[in-house]
Amino acid sequence: MSDQTKYDVIVVGGGHAGTEAALASSRAGARTLLLTHNIETIGQMSCNPAIGGIGKGHLVKEIDALGGIMAKAADAAGIHIRTLNARKGPAVRATRSQADRALYRAAIRTAVENQQGLHIFQQSVDDLIVDEATNRCSGVVTESGLRFNAVSVVLTVGTFLGGKIHIGDVQQAGGRAGDAPSNALAKRLRALPFRVARLKTGTPPRIDGKTIDYSQLEAQPGDTPRPVFSYLGSEADHPEQVHCHITHTNEKTHEIINANLGKSAMYSGNIEGVGPRYCPSIEDKVVRFADKTSHQIFIEPEGLNTHEVYPNGISTSLPFSVQLDYVHSIKGFENAHITRAGYAIEYDFFDPRDLHASLETKFIDGLYFAGQINGTTGYEEAGAQGLVAGINAARAVKGLEAWSPRRNEAYIGVLIDDLITRGTLEPYRMFTSRAEYRLLLREDNADLRLTEKGRELGLVNDNRWQQFNNKVEAIERNRESIAKWFVHAASDDARKIEQAFDVHVQKDQQVLDLLRRPEIDCTGLQKIFPDRFPVNNKAALLQLETQIRYQGYIERQQEEIEKQSRYSESRIPQSFDYANVSGLSSEVQQKLSEQRPDTVGQASRIPGVTPAAVSLLLVSLKKQQLLDRRVGQIA
Amino acid sequence: MSENTDTIAAIATASGKGAIGIVKISGARSLEIASLITKQTLKPRQARYTPFFNSFGAVIDQGVALYFKGPNSYTGEDVLELQSHGNHVLLDQLLDVATNAGARVARPGEFTERAFLNDKIDLAQAEAVSDLIEASTTEAASAAVRSLQGEFSAEIQVILEQLVNCRVYIESALDFAEEEIEFLKDSELTDRFTTLESSVTQLLQRSEEGVLLRDGISIVIAGLPNVGKSSLLNRLTGQDTAIVTDIAGTTRDVLKEEINIDGMPIHIVDTAGLRNSDDPIEQEGVRRAHDQINQADRILFVVEAGCEPEQSLLDELPDGIPVSFVLNKADLQSGIQQLENMLLVSAKTGEGISQLREHIKQCAGFEKTAEGALMARRRHIDALTKAQSHIRSGHRHLQDSSAGELSAEELRLAQDQLNLITGEFTSDDLLGEIFSRFCIGK
Ligand SMILES: Cc1cc2nc3c(=O)[nH]c(=O)nc-3n(C[C@H](O)[C@H](O)[C@H](O)COP(=O)(O)OP(=O)(O)OC[C@H]3O[C@@H](n4cnc5c(N)ncnc54)[C@H](O)[C@@H]3O)c2cc1C
Ligand SMILES: Nc1nc2c(ncn2[C@@H]2O[C@H](COP(=O)(O)OP(=O)(O)OP(=O)(O)O)[C@@H](O)[C@H]2O)c(=O)[nH]1
Ligand SMILES: [Mg+2]
Repeated sequence: MSDQTKYDVIVVGGGHAGTEAALASSRAGARTLLLTHNIETIGQMSCNPAIGGIGKGHLVKEIDALGGIMAKAADAAGIHIRTLNARKGPAVRATRSQADRALYRAAIRTAVENQQGLHIFQQSVDDLIVDEATNRCSGVVTESGLRFNAVSVVLTVGTFLGGKIHIGDVQQAGGRAGDAPSNALAKRLRALPFRVARLKTGTPPRIDGKTIDYSQLEAQPGDTPRPVFSYLGSEADHPEQVHCHITHTNEKTHEIINANLGKSAMYSGNIEGVGPRYCPSIEDKVVRFADKTSHQIFIEPEGLNTHEVYPNGISTSLPFSVQLDYVHSIKGFENAHITRAGYAIEYDFFDPRDLHASLETKFIDGLYFAGQINGTTGYEEAGAQGLVAGINAARAVKGLEAWSPRRNEAYIGVLIDDLITRGTLEPYRMFTSRAEYRLLLREDNADLRLTEKGRELGLVNDNRWQQFNNKVEAIERNRESIAKWFVHAASDDARKIEQAFDVHVQKDQQVLDLLRRPEIDCTGLQKIFPDRFPVNNKAALLQLETQIRYQGYIERQQEEIEKQSRYSESRIPQSFDYANVSGLSSEVQQKLSEQRPDTVGQASRIPGVTPAAVSLLLVSLKKQQLLDRRVGQIA
Repeated sequence: MSENTDTIAAIATASGKGAIGIVKISGARSLEIASLITKQTLKPRQARYTPFFNSFGAVIDQGVALYFKGPNSYTGEDVLELQSHGNHVLLDQLLDVATNAGARVARPGEFTERAFLNDKIDLAQAEAVSDLIEASTTEAASAAVRSLQGEFSAEIQVILEQLVNCRVYIESALDFAEEEIEFLKDSELTDRFTTLESSVTQLLQRSEEGVLLRDGISIVIAGLPNVGKSSLLNRLTGQDTAIVTDIAGTTRDVLKEEINIDGMPIHIVDTAGLRNSDDPIEQEGVRRAHDQINQADRILFVVEAGCEPEQSLLDELPDGIPVSFVLNKADLQSGIQQLENMLLVSAKTGEGISQLREHIKQCAGFEKTAEGALMARRRHIDALTKAQSHIRSGHRHLQDSSAGELSAEELRLAQDQLNLITGEFTSDDLLGEIFSRFCIGK
């Protein structure tokens, strides 16, 4: 029997960041303990019952390619699945799934319980064991005084630090509805040298679906065929499917809200935390967009075995009585019964600029932060960070170098780099417009971008590896075959193509060139000319087609990346003295000294650091013989 | 060096008519650019006397082309050096070929920086590198004020707004497809593209004309009557061009002379002394003086010890044009304190005149290393030209295949180019614009 109090890695928190962290850490071979408040809430979705969306779906696929659990759980729980932007280009297409909460939780719990090398223990963590002399974290202390030791500790405690729930003018301590906050831990962390601030987010009231008049409402079905999240998944993984519905607020609703604004926690000045700009409460929407007389509400089912629904679009911190009034003013909700009140929650988060790209903190070695405590919002953003923190916590145990994807490799890279170089003033959510390499970072190629790396890191099992290699081979063999294929105008082949795609093949040309035309696609070609495609694999055909279509852009972005990567990976020692960089303006000097970026690339992305400042920094590093030109993996 | 480096280009000499002009190019594309300009394949380390072709394939000059293969070159990268006649129109066209082929106009000090980073200069020499970057950056910043940014800042601002406007619609259609946003119809968006495109084209046309016309910079001498402005002009030109008397209000017409400081052409403009007058002729002279002042690259404001101008006069000087104060008639007073930022001279004895020339030379950016208004302007035009071509491709994508994500990509690249002129506008700024316009979110 191994020691129950000594581990390689301890993960605190069983949310989306925590579970991915614990799974990644143990997969990478570290003896891992997942310590959380309550085993029953492992994998709990605190807010809306949905996974994915534009930008977020990209993250889920990346987590999957790196062996994570989120995509598989979303498939197992997916009761209404769609591809967003289906008619737009492949780079911005994204998968989104309504998830049955209970099924989702169960899928995560099963994965965690069955993971080799991973133990679970239920208890609230109140304190960190930190050696003052070495600034190293070596374990945690729980509520009841139990001590657990580890080489690395990953903190993923979500909205629980100093969590305060607001409903109208009523305030109550809480980490989310029904859960106690983590105040002792919050206090402990505030005593450490991290920069702490408050954020807020909100959630709508939940409604009993039996009391909704669906006959008045527009139904929205999922897609057929159904999109699948995991590269290893299939439609067969999905449970029964249900519809969403759509309704709208109206002038009456807005009147009620306007008349009661003063009672909203948001407007009465009780909340100091900053909410997200893109996810306004219904009060905010009515005030800021006063000329809009109606706002859309998606009615999302919470699960197959419950009538509860989540009305997406009316999150609020108004008093319960007002929530009742405005809900009843909405079409289809005239007789609605509210099962849980909407609320706003305020919580502590840590300035993510105090983190390395590995998600280890700069002040305390061996301590990693992931998820909402780093200023993000969303399950996907949390899961992505959890995975990176988990893998690095495990690598540190073995003395291996940290890994974090670059901005041109993954949305996960964009997320982490944005956080650590720019920080955030509001809960940070992923959007595709944040990625300058958007055309490279697609949902359809997350596996091609990351599986090999995942394998190297020990995250990808044999089954996934085999399937990946099959796909790569299928793509390449088809590519080779059609690269040799030439169509002559007025030939038999040309006629067949003209018929099938309603195009005109004017001159002799390569099929590769024909495929750049939007009307013609690989899947269609394969149907007419099966012999030309040695491997009939749908995903591989789609992939080939996308690569051909984006080729020019992909090459250009590759070139841009090469140009930029010249010194961007060069390390800057943490002890580097920016005051010695001659010529640097005092403003830039101060920023750099405060933030202590790890690489020249990170330095260059800090707001206000100009190209000339980067030049001065490079020259200074070179003078001190500190300039290495690293190629390879480092954040 | 097989590595793919960003290719940079610059005019390495300031022009003086008749002098030799050098265009330097460093980076992976050097050889490719050499073959575009000379229509032949250059061998490393061989000077070739050859015709130079412009972007349209016309021969514009005969000159010497030198190609160095990295790492055996000044910067350690592939380097192309073109020596031609030192006339701006010509040098501009050579630079144009380079930037069209994917090079960008070098930042101040960038050649030296590369040389140092690639171990081509030793540590002793390198001490100067940071000073150089810093000095030239400060200078470039002030030069930029006189460049596109200053002169056309209103237009640039309009272009920026139009661009952001297009991006707001395109990006929100991509990231917020599920929201109830009133998306523009493609036709409306196309109209906005057309407007944006023509704004950029117009500004480019005007600024290109500006660059070509302006061969050398113009320095306007201004001040109260009788302080010795005309005497100073005569002193600087070495000729007795302007009438000098002890009567206040002698000069009425605008007098322009070209002088040449170390090969750099500089226009010196003498103007009427600034004062309120009842004489209609003098009034007109003062009006013309103000015209000149407003168009100056730099103002030499002449003051005589003991008759300092009123603050109101100084307040009238235009914003954004740098002013040098010159304290004249130094010979009359002994023991005048050398005030900070004041050049003490005597037009009569010639005292301080060589310092004044040196000062003018530095302001004109003819330090061997630093750069002046002209390079800053070229860099801005390069950025604007590249932005223009991205906007065009973006427009085409939208029209031909309503490919929003490709159009968006082109606009992002256009924005990157405009950022070089206007300062950074990040993806987060863009999101801010979107959220302030549309009600987005659950
Ligand atoms: C009211 C509300 C509204 C939200 N609205 C949105 C939204 O609109 N859009 C959106 O994308 N996301 C929203 N979210 C956020 C989303 O739920 C989170 O981003 C996501 O769950 C964060 O994952 P996490 O792993 O970082 O933290 P969590 O999912 O919060 O998990 C934290 C875990 O840590 C455990 N824990 C906490 N403290 C301790 C301790 N001291 N000891 C042991 N265990 C501890 C908890 O029990 C829990 O298991 C909302 C969340 C809330 C609460
Ligand atoms: N002692 C001395 N006298 C000078 C100097 N410079 C100019 N003067 C005299 O000052 C008087 C005015 O000189 P101008 O050069 O005509 O002055 P201005 O500023 O052009 O005058 P307006 O054209 O009338 O505005 C003349 O008598 C000059 O000889 C100087 O450096 N020293
Ligand atoms: Mg005069």
